[in-house]
Amino acid sequence: MSIDPSLLMNAVAAGILLGGFYAAVALGLSITFGQLDVVNIAHPAFIVAGSYLVFALNGGFGLDPVLAGIILMPVFFVVGVLVYRVYYAAFERTGRESLAGLAFFFGLMFIIEVLFILAYGVDYRLVETDYIGKQIEIGLLGIPWRMLVPFCAAVVMTGGVYLFLSKTFLGRAILAVSQDRLALQLMGADPIKIKQIAFGLGIATAALAGALLIMIGPVEPTIGRLYIGRIFAIVVLGGMGSIPGTLIAAIILGLAESLVATYIGPSWAPTVAFGILLLTLAFRPSGLLGRQA
Amino acid sequence: MANSLTIRNVEAGYGSVRVLYGVSMDVNDGETVVLLGSNGNGKSTLIKCITGIVQPSGGEILLSVDGQQVNLIGKSPEEIVDLGIALVPEGRRLFPALSVEENLMLGAYRKAARARIEENLEFVYTAFPRLRERAGQLAGSMSGGEQQMVAVARALMSEPRVLLVDEPSVGLAPILVSRMIAKIKELKDERNLTVLMAEQNFNQAIKIADRGYIIVHGHIEFEGESADALRNNEMIREYYLGA
Ligand SMILES: Nc1ncnc2c1ncn2[C@@H]1O[C@H](COP(=O)(O)OP(=O)(O)O)[C@@H](O)[C@H]1O
Ligand SMILES: [Mg+2]
Repeated sequence: MSIDPSLLMNAVAAGILLGGFYAAVALGLSITFGQLDVVNIAHPAFIVAGSYLVFALNGGFGLDPVLAGIILMPVFFVVGVLVYRVYYAAFERTGRESLAGLAFFFGLMFIIEVLFILAYGVDYRLVETDYIGKQIEIGLLGIPWRMLVPFCAAVVMTGGVYLFLSKTFLGRAILAVSQDRLALQLMGADPIKIKQIAFGLGIATAALAGALLIMIGPVEPTIGRLYIGRIFAIVVLGGMGSIPGTLIAAIILGLAESLVATYIGPSWAPTVAFGILLLTLAFRPSGLLGRQA
Repeated sequence: MANSLTIRNVEAGYGSVRVLYGVSMDVNDGETVVLLGSNGNGKSTLIKCITGIVQPSGGEILLSVDGQQVNLIGKSPEEIVDLGIALVPEGRRLFPALSVEENLMLGAYRKAARARIEENLEFVYTAFPRLRERAGQLAGSMSGGEQQMVAVARALMSEPRVLLVDEPSVGLAPILVSRMIAKIKELKDERNLTVLMAEQNFNQAIKIADRGYIIVHGHIEFEGESADALRNNEMIREYYLGA
C-alpha cells in the first residue's frame, strides 16, 4: 500500500482536532471519576443534555453554540452539585457507592435520554452558524471550522481546569480529597463541600462539551453512549485525574481513531478506545501521567 | 494573647468500648505539655477528641485563643482547625500523590493562614531545608523522616496558636527522633506556640517537656509539674525505665 502524503496529513490533522474535542468530553469524568472515584457513567448523557440545550438556545435566540455552552456552565454546575448531594446522601455516606452508585448513574443516564426523546424525538439535531461548513485550506490540508473551533474551546477549557486545580486552594483541596478525607478536614476544609464543588465543576464541563459535540456533528438523545468507552479509556490512559494526561490521552485516541478510520475502515474506529483501555490496563495501569506514590 | 486548652472530665470511646475515663488536663499558654503512655492507653483518642475527630460522650474541652474562649465539644475538625489548632497526626497522613509543596499549600487552606502564605512557606523551608530541595517530589515517595518534616511543616502553614503532635517518633530511627523532638521545641519557641505532644518515647519526650501527664488505660495516673518530677517519679521509673 502506497502512502498518500495528503491523505496521511489530513488524517493526522483530523485526529488531533478530534482528540482535542475528546479532551473536552473526558475532562469532566477526569474530575468526577479520576479525582473523586465516582463512576459517573451518566457523564456523556449530561453532555448530550448540553447539546440539546445549546440547540435550543441556538435555534431560539441564534446564540453561537460555544457562547451558549459557556452560558449553560453555571446551570450545569448547580445540577452537578445537586446530583452529588443525592448520590452522597443515598450511597456514599453509607459506603454503598460501588454497585448501587453505578446503578444510580445508569438510571440517571436513562432518565436524561428519555427526557430528550420526549422533548425532541429521536431525530438528529444540529446547530447552525456561519462558520460551520467552511474550512481553511492550507495547501493539501483542509481544516474544517466545525472541528477547529471545538478543538480550541476544548484546549482552553482543559487549560483553565488545570490552572484552577493546581493554583487555587479549592483546586488543591479537590486533588487531595480522595487521598485522605480526614487529613483534609485537618486542613480546615469540609470534604463533602469540596466534593460537591468538584462534581459540579465536572458536570459544568459537560455543558461546553455538549456545545462542541453538536457543532461537530448532529446529535440524537442516545448518542452519548458512543462516548462511554472512549472517555473511560482516556481517563485511564491519561492517569486517573491528571488533566494534562487527559489532554494527551484524548489526542492519542483521536489520532488513533482517525488513522484507523482512514487506513482500515471507519467501522473499526469505535474499537480503538477499548484496545487502548486494555493495553493501558495491561502495560501501564497507572496511565501516562498518573501520580502514584 | 494567651492561648490554652482546658480539658475537664472527658469521657470517650468507640461504640461500646470505653477508652477515656474522666480525663482532665491543662495546657497553658506557651507550655510544652507531654502526654505520656504506652501503646493503646488512649493518647490518640484524647487528641482526636480535641480535634473533633472523636466526639466525647462527656466532659468539656475549652480552647482559649486570641482572647476568646470556645467550647470545642460538638465542633467538626474543620471548625476546630479554623480556630487556630493544628494537628500533626499519628502516621503523618500526608497527601501521598501530591507534591511536598502542594501538601504545604494545603496546610494554609484556612482563611487566616492564606494572607501569610509566602512568609510561612519561607519559614518552614528555612526550618527544614530538605523540604525546599524536595519541593516537587511526591510526598508519598519520601522517607519516613522527611514525611514527618512535611507533616510538621504542613501544620505550621496553618498559622496555629496551639499545636498538637501525636507520636512524632513512630517509625523513625532513634537519631531522627531526637532531631525531630528538638526541632518541635525550636519551632515552638520561634512561633510562640502552645504545644501538646503525645508520645510513648518517654526519654525523648521529656527532653522538651515543661510538664506532663501519664495516661494509663484511659485514666490520668500522674501529673508531673516539671520534667524532673516526671523523671523522678517512682511509678514512671518502674513503668518506663524498668528501674
Ligand atoms: N477507631 C477505633 N475503633 C475502636 N477502637 C479503637 C479505635 N481507635 C483506638 N481504639 C482503641 O482505643 C484504645 C486507645 O487507643 P489509642 O487512643 O489509639 O491509644 P494510644 O494512642 O495511646 O496508642 C485502644 O484499646 C484501641 O484499640
Ligand atoms: Mg496513638
